[in-house]
Amino acid sequence: MNALTSSGNGGPVLSAQHLTIQSKQKKILDDLSLDFPAASLTAVVGPSGCGKTTFIRSLNRMVELTPGLSIRGSVIYLGQDIYDPSVNPVMVRRRIGMVFQRPTVFPTTVFENAAFGLRLVHEDIETIEKSVEEALQRSGLWEEVKDDLDRPALSLSGGQQQRLCIARALAIKPRVLLLDEPTSALDPAATQRVEATMQRLKEDFVLVLVTHNVGQAARVSDKVAFLHSGHLIEVGPTADILERPREALTQQFITGRFQ
Amino acid sequence: MASASVAAPAETGKDLLFDASARTRWRLGFDRVAGWLLPVLFLVAIVPILDLVYYIASQALPTLSWAVLTNTNPHDPYALGVPIISTVYVMLWATAVAVALGLFGGVATAEFLSERAAGWMRMSANLLVGTPSVVIGYFGYFALVLGLGWGYSFIAGATTLAFFMTPYIFRVTDLAYSSIPRPIREAALGSGARPYQYILKVAAPIALPQILNGVFLAVAIGVGETAPIVLTSTHSVLVPQTLYSPVSFLTAEIWLNFSQPPGQALALAFQAAFVVLVVVVALNIVVRIISARYQKRLEGLYQ
Ligand SMILES: Nc1ncnc2c1ncn2[C@@H]1O[C@H](COP(=O)(O)OP(=O)(O)OP(=O)(O)O)[C@@H](O)[C@H]1O
Ligand SMILES: [Mg+2]
Repeated sequence: MNALTSSGNGGPVLSAQHLTIQSKQKKILDDLSLDFPAASLTAVVGPSGCGKTTFIRSLNRMVELTPGLSIRGSVIYLGQDIYDPSVNPVMVRRRIGMVFQRPTVFPTTVFENAAFGLRLVHEDIETIEKSVEEALQRSGLWEEVKDDLDRPALSLSGGQQQRLCIARALAIKPRVLLLDEPTSALDPAATQRVEATMQRLKEDFVLVLVTHNVGQAARVSDKVAFLHSGHLIEVGPTADILERPREALTQQFITGRFQ
Repeated sequence: MASASVAAPAETGKDLLFDASARTRWRLGFDRVAGWLLPVLFLVAIVPILDLVYYIASQALPTLSWAVLTNTNPHDPYALGVPIISTVYVMLWATAVAVALGLFGGVATAEFLSERAAGWMRMSANLLVGTPSVVIGYFGYFALVLGLGWGYSFIAGATTLAFFMTPYIFRVTDLAYSSIPRPIREAALGSGARPYQYILKVAAPIALPQILNGVFLAVAIGVGETAPIVLTSTHSVLVPQTLYSPVSFLTAEIWLNFSQPPGQALALAFQAAFVVLVVVVALNIVVRIISARYQKRLEGLYQ
């Protein structure tokens, strides 16, 4: 794929191509290719241990932080292979942000958490304040924290912490946001708010959501990719995959016949 | 368990709640014994310590005065002013060197080295912590006094003491950085932090109180050591004027004087011992305070 087709209008912003990831013992991902178009939310679903986390972590080179994995294939971001030796993974992660399963706030204030990425690139304080507010608005946390941005982030509830993590990722204005089971540690009310946040965000960002919850995929995603033991079994519009899956494995998964 | 399954048909609450098998009874008995054995063992441990403290204090205090502590007259052999100031200088140098080496090594081990190399570093540090200080003293003598030709001097003594303190600071730094939750590390790197930015901006504030604790403990251990100094430096009646001057040290003062017959010299040994004791206790209290604050601040991080 060349720069013209991928970064032009309508082409995917991000695209995994023939991605194979191996540990010493086994193939974790096997020749996986998947496109992520602009302004869309793609849900990656599959049973536990099928490689969802490994896959999403390969989309911004976080997977390299795990020693002992070998990575082949490429991930094209706006025409550029992020695994090209000339590419700096730090820059990749500033364009392709990530939110984890458990909230990972730093033990400092709400403001400093949201400002973290901006401080790294030495923005001036007006820009930082503006971007922090914007990011907190987008993550849906602003109304709850705007009166006391200096409170310790660890004093927020789990759901608020998770939305703060989303704000922290958004503040540096990435194009893509990767979310690895962002609600699995949250209660239903907090889950609902994070889902609402994701729905708003997908207007402006490319969202990739790993979830083991078929209901969540149905509620928020445009596109579903079903993974099974490292293989991409099928991918398509959410309604098609969840209501009329072509593959027996997909059918079994969405009817809850295996976890 | 076994006795419960063959129990009589009419079970009372007592039968259900209390497992009366022999092993359990033995265990309960043991619990009860341990319940009063532990305080007894604690007393066995603490009494000699308190006795020692009392003994040193009772020998030192009658003759200890502000004048003794502050007298720096080189012609007065029964004063502690020079040893105290010299000890402060030595500890400053030793701590600076030990902190530089320990921090650098600890961060490198926790963050950058391969698992195998980190394993070697940790093993070496554990070995060094277990090494008698005399051995470190002889190492300083051969490597610094003779090897580098520094002679019996302040710099040889203080640097040898630094070698003795380094593994403690190394270990606590390595531990502080290694025990930062992985998700925190990944979140920082995932937000586009460079490794050094993670180390300085995210990890350091979390690790620093713990490291500070280690530094204070290392200082407390170092200030109580004698061998690294007396093997690499000679006694002096003056505060060191250059890096290569000889230097006195509080514990060296004890070492030189405590075998003297009762009199001013022996009293001086006890006075020096008392000062060291007070410093060590004070440092330990500081460590306690930092630990308590630190735990409060990080509540919720390690859930
Ligand atoms: N660093 C590693 N070394 C070896 N094997 C690994 C490593 N990381 C993951 N695996 C293996 O790869 C497979 C996929 O793991 P992964 O965490 O990506 O699955 P997942 O779909 O996210 O599972 P879950 O739903 O439980 O989060 C698992 O079988 C796991 O044991
Ligand atoms: Mg996972």
